[in-house]
Amino acid sequence: MKLKKFATAGAVMAVSALTLAACGSKSSSNDSKQVLNWDETAELPSMDLSKATDVVSFDQLNNTMEGLYRLGKDSKVEPGLAKKTHVSDDGLTYTFDLRKSNWSNGDKLTAKDFVYSWQRTVDPKTGSQYAYLFDGVKNANDIMDGKKKTSELGIKADGDYKLTVTLDKKIPYFKLLMGFPVFFPQNEKVVKDAGSKYGTASKYMVYNGPFKLTKWTGSNLSWTATKNNKYWDKKNVKLDAINFKVNKSNSTSYNLYKTDKLDGTPLSSEQAKQLKNDKEFLTRSAASTFYFQYNQTQKRFQNKKIRQALSMAINRKQLTNKVLGDGSTVSKGLVSKGLAKNDGKDFADQAYVKEGVEYNKAEAKKLWQEGLKEVGETKMDINLLSDDTDKAKDSTEFVQSQIESTLGDSVNVHVQNVPFKTRLTRSEQGDFDLVISAWGADFADPISFLDLFTSDNSQNDGEWKNADYDKLIQASKTTDAGNTDKRWDDLVQAEKILVQEQGIAPLYQQSTAWMVKSKVKGIIYNSSGASYNFKNTYIKE
Amino acid sequence: MKKYLLKRVLYMALTLFLVATITFFLMKLMPGTPYSNQEKMTPQQIKIMNQQYGLDKPIWLQYVIYIFGMLHGDLGTSFQFSNQPVSYLISSRIGASAQLGVQAMIFGVVLGIIVGSVAAIYRNTWVDTTATVLSIIGKSVPNFVLAVLLQYYISLKLGWFPIADWGGFSYTVLPTIALGVGPLAETARFIRTGMVDVLNSDYIELARAKGLNKFGIIYHHALRNSLIPLVTLIGPYTVALMTGSMVIENIFSIPGIGEQYVKSIQTNDYPTIMGVTMLFCFGLVLIILFTDIIYGIIDPRIRLTGNED
Repeated sequence: MKLKKFATAGAVMAVSALTLAACGSKSSSNDSKQVLNWDETAELPSMDLSKATDVVSFDQLNNTMEGLYRLGKDSKVEPGLAKKTHVSDDGLTYTFDLRKSNWSNGDKLTAKDFVYSWQRTVDPKTGSQYAYLFDGVKNANDIMDGKKKTSELGIKADGDYKLTVTLDKKIPYFKLLMGFPVFFPQNEKVVKDAGSKYGTASKYMVYNGPFKLTKWTGSNLSWTATKNNKYWDKKNVKLDAINFKVNKSNSTSYNLYKTDKLDGTPLSSEQAKQLKNDKEFLTRSAASTFYFQYNQTQKRFQNKKIRQALSMAINRKQLTNKVLGDGSTVSKGLVSKGLAKNDGKDFADQAYVKEGVEYNKAEAKKLWQEGLKEVGETKMDINLLSDDTDKAKDSTEFVQSQIESTLGDSVNVHVQNVPFKTRLTRSEQGDFDLVISAWGADFADPISFLDLFTSDNSQNDGEWKNADYDKLIQASKTTDAGNTDKRWDDLVQAEKILVQEQGIAPLYQQSTAWMVKSKVKGIIYNSSGASYNFKNTYIKE
Repeated sequence: MKKYLLKRVLYMALTLFLVATITFFLMKLMPGTPYSNQEKMTPQQIKIMNQQYGLDKPIWLQYVIYIFGMLHGDLGTSFQFSNQPVSYLISSRIGASAQLGVQAMIFGVVLGIIVGSVAAIYRNTWVDTTATVLSIIGKSVPNFVLAVLLQYYISLKLGWFPIADWGGFSYTVLPTIALGVGPLAETARFIRTGMVDVLNSDYIELARAKGLNKFGIIYHHALRNSLIPLVTLIGPYTVALMTGSMVIENIFSIPGIGEQYVKSIQTNDYPTIMGVTMLFCFGLVLIILFTDIIYGIIDPRIRLTGNED
């Protein structure tokens, strides 16, 4: 009897517990909080916008801070703190009327916060690795070199809500730059109070963007961005919170995705190959191009035919589809596709030079033999330098086999896979024959790529020199800087020369394959600069 | 004993100093700068940054400054995590690694002793063969393969444990197993070999003849003697596990120190490289000292100081 009573009581308790649990879960879904669970592939190293250097930091800054403008879809300049902008006729003075807004701690945000932030970034004492983007703002270079005081920087606050920026030279992409976190404001009092702790944990920060960070301790693997109720445009922010979780293993993050613990996850090449027909599969292409640099201090690589033959020997389609398999695409040129448009036309399409990036076995063989004769050699040993990541190793192996099988016995390619920093150092020192380099654009303008290959640029490791190219780049910055179409044409012509002459050989544009739940809407992804903008993101249940 | 300890501590200090010195100069031989945006900076900008961080000074002077700082408890500031003191980076992440390491060690050694003993007692039967085969598998399957399998079948399919992340004890179970199987297999093999030898010795025969029960013999005589070689193994193993396993930490998204170490080397984050190396080294010399002391306790034949006989 007693036992029976116990059993009955137990059953009643179990049923009521289940009911309660069911109610609990029901009521929580009825709250319909808008929460996004997002994967990050690395820790957040810094929220100090003067010192940040990596994609995770820039993404977080882009969503928790705001500058004069915010970059929307396709890097379109959208309103930020600048309510009205006036540009002087000579294009050298920008006057901004700022909207009234507040920091997340309630402090008033004024033009002085911009002045302070910019001066702090260009101050050599701060040690900013992105200060070079200020090149063109009046006196910026001299301040960075320690020749002038920070107060001489071309930025002035006129009252609380008027900001004037003076330039040394026209910057045609100036507004785009203003959407990059390095140009956002900083709250002087908070920076000074936090001292050396500024930007090292969420408790030392204030924000002026759509979200504010919580639970970030500086080195942990998960944190949350919650809606910032002090944000000026909070009515257009739909998410209540974004939970960021760092997962360094793609198989782990995909498992979390499958169990609905994550709403988006990047995929490895293997996963991408298996999932590419899934309706939630998508690829995000970065403004990042991988290319060959030929060491043109060596006589043999000064020969255009040799350069062309090596480039034409590579089946890039096979490289992207079979070897990489992560959604990366064959480059049309140096400037990545989807980076910049003029009159609706993509720069990469306009500057496309087919023979510069095509695979043509017969032509490669022919050019190779002619080239060999011209340089007076019968056989070449070529060292191919590249990174030592798995992807880089696979790519170099493929490139090696392509060159050797296409060009035959007269070439031997020796692969040298070295750590990233070693590759950079050896490239800078010219210690290579052929190197696979990569470049990612900081902002959505072709010049972000094309600047690299002017004769005196320090990143032009192969030391390719072309006077016409230099002239066109120079014109785009000076005489044609104020004329959008002319400047565009200059840059298109420049890239055509670069690829036609095989100053470098573009290989592929990098992409990452993702799975994103179909209920997640309104994510803005840009291939350059800070990639993610979650301001208008929402969950459609 | 006191004299011995003092001598050992001095040796430890000397070892640490030598490791610090060698690591410092080797690290400076690595090409490149510690700046993550190095590829986009011009040589002029890099020069200015070097001045800012004192990297333009001669290397011997940088070394003196570093050692001076270290002696005063200042391990410097990370480059990769700007503004973040290395001591904070280490202290905030060593906890998870150490907990996992200790758990894995306990799991591995305790289970390993049981499996090894059982195999020795029932040697040359199917029990022994099974245990040996399992040990070989445990030793030869890389722990990350096991980790992925555990994650897939136990967490994703059965839902018994969380897939990844770091929260309470339940989050540590699968990584502990994945990390612990290596030591388990190793321990089992050592114990089996040791115990088979011991069980064949005369004094065990004597104990049996005296009528001691089987488990008494195993526990009091056989096991204690088989443990000696194991102690040598456990020390360095514990340090290696406690200082983190990059792969396991990555698979289970654990905020440990393992990956931090590898990444600091890849990015030339000098202060972090030094900090974690010194921590690892300190742990190792300390454990070696403990091992030697423990030797003396479990095996009276081993004396720490030679003059006591």
